[in-house]
Amino acid sequence: MTETEQFDLRIEGLNVYYGRIHALNDVSMTVPEGQIVTLVGANGAGKSTLLMTLAGVLKAKSGSLTFGGQPLPDAPHRVLAGGVSLVPERRRLYANLTVRENLMMGAHLQTKMSVIREDMERMMNLFPIIRERVKQYAGTLSGGEQQMVAVARGLMSRPKLLLMDEPSLGLAPLIVRQVFETISGLKEQGITVLLAEQNAMNSLEIADYAYVLETGRVALEGTGRQLLEDERVKEAYLGIQKKSVEQ
Amino acid sequence: MLMQTLVTGIAVGGVYALMAVGYSLIFSILNFSNFAYGSIIMLGSYVGFFSLTSFGMPFPLALVVTMLVAALLSFLNERISYSSLRKRKAPSLYFMISAMGTSIFLENIVYATIGASFKAYPPLFAQATVDLGGSTIGKLDLFAIFFSAAAILVMHYFIKHSRTGIAIRAASYDSTIAQINGVNLNYVIGLVFVLAGLLAGISGVFLGLKYMAYPTMGWITNKAYVSAVIGGLGSLPGAVVGGLLLGVLESLISVYIRSTIRDVFSFTFLITVLLFMPSGLFGKYLEEKV
Repeated sequence: MTETEQFDLRIEGLNVYYGRIHALNDVSMTVPEGQIVTLVGANGAGKSTLLMTLAGVLKAKSGSLTFGGQPLPDAPHRVLAGGVSLVPERRRLYANLTVRENLMMGAHLQTKMSVIREDMERMMNLFPIIRERVKQYAGTLSGGEQQMVAVARGLMSRPKLLLMDEPSLGLAPLIVRQVFETISGLKEQGITVLLAEQNAMNSLEIADYAYVLETGRVALEGTGRQLLEDERVKEAYLGIQKKSVEQ
Repeated sequence: MLMQTLVTGIAVGGVYALMAVGYSLIFSILNFSNFAYGSIIMLGSYVGFFSLTSFGMPFPLALVVTMLVAALLSFLNERISYSSLRKRKAPSLYFMISAMGTSIFLENIVYATIGASFKAYPPLFAQATVDLGGSTIGKLDLFAIFFSAAAILVMHYFIKHSRTGIAIRAASYDSTIAQINGVNLNYVIGLVFVLAGLLAGISGVFLGLKYMAYPTMGWITNKAYVSAVIGGLGSLPGAVVGGLLLGVLESLISVYIRSTIRDVFSFTFLITVLLFMPSGLFGKYLEEKV
C-alpha cells in the first residue's frame, strides 16, 4: 500500500444469503476515509447483515469488499486487526464481565498494557459515566450506560473505521442526542464511521453521505441533506406525510 | 472417626471438583457435556501408572508427564471430534453423540491393547498416615486435597485475572462478539481443552492411586458431571462447591449408613437439587439487559 492510499471502504456487487433468503442483493457503496456514512432502512432491510458481513461474521456469496485497497479478511479477528471495528446491535456487552474487562476485551489485540491504560483513560474522559462504573458488571448498567461502554469497547482497538449498528436503539431521546454528538466527535478524531440506523432524522443530519436500503437493495443514495429533503425518505422514514394536491 | 471421614470426603470431593471444573470449562465455551472427558481421565490414569511402573519415574515427574499427555489428548479430542462440527455450526446434540462415540472408542482401544485387568498403582502413600488430633489420616488424602486445591486456585487465578482468562470468559458468554473483538476462537477453544486436560491428568493419577486404573473408570467421572450440575453447569465456583459437597456427603453416607447406597444417594441428591434449583446452586450469570 502506498502512503497516499486512502483508507476507503469499497463494497461492490455484494450478495449475501441466509439459507435461501437473499438478504443483500447486489449492494455497492463507498465509505470514504474520514467521513460519516449512514445506512437508513427499516427492520429487516439488511443493515445488520451488511455490517456483520463486513465484520467477517457472515460470508458473502459474491462481490468484493476492500478497505484501503486490500480485500477484507473473512475471519472476524483478522478484520479487527485490519482496523475495522464493529459496535453490534443491542450492544451485546459481556454481562458476566466488569465494565473494565469489557473494555479490555475491546483492546484484545493490543499487547502493550501502557497503551490500554492510556486508551481506557481516554474513554473515561469521553464518557465520564464509565469512570463510576468500571468495577461493576456490565449486566447491571442501564441501557444508555451500556451503549456508552459498547462504543468505548469498539474504540479500544483504535480502529480506522468504526461500524455502528443501531446505536440509538431503545435509548431515551436525551441519551440518543448524546450518542449522535459522540459520533460526530469521532469524525473530528479522524475515525471513519459507517452508521446503520432506523432513526433517520438524527443520523441523516450528521451524515456526509447516506444510502437507503430496502429489502436488501440500495434504493436511494445521496448526501445527508439531499436525503432529508427527499419526498420518499420524508414519507417512509421521517414520518412526514406528503400533502395530496391532486385528487 | 468423623474427622477421618471428613478428610476422606474432602479428598474425594477435591478430585470430583477438579474433574467438574474441567467439565464446566468445556461446557461453558461449547455448551455441551463432553462425555469423552472421562475417557481422557482414564487414559491419564494409565499414563500415570506406566510412568511410575514401566518407566520408573519419581512421583512428581510422573504427575507432570501425565498432565502434559492428558492435555495433548484433550486437545486432540477437540480437534478430531468437535472442530469440524463447530465449523458447520452443528446443534449440540451432534457434539454429544460425537463425544459418546469418542468415549466408547477410547475405552475399547484400552481393552484391545492393555486389557481389561485392573492396574494397581505402586503403594506410594498407601500405608503412610499422619496423626491429626487423635485421628489417623491417610497421606494420600492429604496429597489429593493439596493438589486439587492448588490446581483449582491456579486455574481460578488464571481465568479471573489473565487477559487470556478474560477472553475465555468473554467467549463463553458470546463467542461471536469475542471474535469481533479480535479473539481467535479456534485458539481459545483449543486452550480450554488443554487446561481441562491438565486437570484430567491430575485427577487421573489420584483416581488411579485410590481406586486403580481400569478401562471403564471414566464412568466415575459421572460424579464429576453430577457435581458440575449440582453446582450449576458452566460455573467454576459451582463446580468446586458441588464436588466438595458430593464427596463429603458420599463419605458420610458410606461410613455411617452403608457404602452400597452411596450412588443411590448421589443421584437422588442431584435430582432433589434440580427439582428446587433447576440451574444448580450457582446458576448462570446475570441476564443481559435489552
